[in-house]
Amino acid sequence: MKKIIGILTILLIFSYHQEVQAQRYVTKDGRITFFSEAPAENIEAFNNQVNSALDIGSGDFIFRVLMKSFQFEKALMQEHFNENYIESHKHPNATFSGKVTNLEAIDFGTPGTYNAVVSGDLTIKGITKSITEEGMFEVNADGTIHGQATFMIAIADFDIKIPRAVINNIAEEIEIKVDVKLSPLNN
Amino acid sequence: MKKKWFKILLILAGIGVVAAVLGYIFIYNKPHPNYEKMNPDFTLTAAVLFNEYVEDSEAAGLEYNGKMVAVEGEVTLVESVDEQVKAYFVLSEGLFGNEGIRVTMLENHSGPLLDMPPGSLMSIKGYVTGYNGTDVIMEHGSLMHSYQ
Repeated sequence: MKKIIGILTILLIFSYHQEVQAQRYVTKDGRITFFSEAPAENIEAFNNQVNSALDIGSGDFIFRVLMKSFQFEKALMQEHFNENYIESHKHPNATFSGKVTNLEAIDFGTPGTYNAVVSGDLTIKGITKSITEEGMFEVNADGTIHGQATFMIAIADFDIKIPRAVINNIAEEIEIKVDVKLSPLNN
Repeated sequence: MKKKWFKILLILAGIGVVAAVLGYIFIYNKPHPNYEKMNPDFTLTAAVLFNEYVEDSEAAGLEYNGKMVAVEGEVTLVESVDEQVKAYFVLSEGLFGNEGIRVTMLENHSGPLLDMPPGSLMSIKGYVTGYNGTDVIMEHGSLMHSYQ
């Protein structure tokens, strides 16, 4: 009898573990692009090494972004971004930790496109701000979820100071584009 | 007297123009480093580098972030993502599945890597951008040596 209970317990724990894992979708190759439109010049940079995880059961949604992985067209801009503006030696990662707040409107079991509202804490340069943004989830038949969002952030909110000499080169508000293709963790 | 001042102003303007042109070419438009030709600042095994970040990411970051580092170990996986090839030294497992050192290879070093069998012992150098909680990330990777 003890043996049977032991085997059943192990099976129960195993099936629970499988279910929990299947609820978590992850990527390490998410892409974040930012775009600054200013009178003197436009600046664009991308990072395609973004870690992201979505738990479709709880709606928990997290991002972790290495700032030094942003690639710029011009080496000088990349240098200034890391050394002067973001100070990536002090703050190597930016993070977002939040939730999908309209989970009831998204059927992750049925392929289709769904509007999503995501709310949480965005931390850049050690400063955390609460944000709520709208995006989109595309649930694919192959079991992957494609998430996309575009939103603006004010750089002053994150203590990024622009010297007067380049005030016409960098916008006060930057457009952020997020693009993540999430796969079930147990795949 | 006026002529002399005019000459001085003309020379100063000329110097200014030359300085602006040189600044535009050599500072504003300076090229990205040639990562393939850079000598490694550090050479160590993949396991040692990964463990240093896991144990104290801040101290390891100060030492290795922004540096060219050569690592040696078994490349467990070679991944092809959005036309980029990534060499993965898998050393642990966590929230996101595999954990270790992920190196995005330079285009001209991608082909040879795709032909290697999984688990090949290799020496790869790359520019370390940091530790994101799961992996040590290296960019602009080039294959230095394969022991196959």
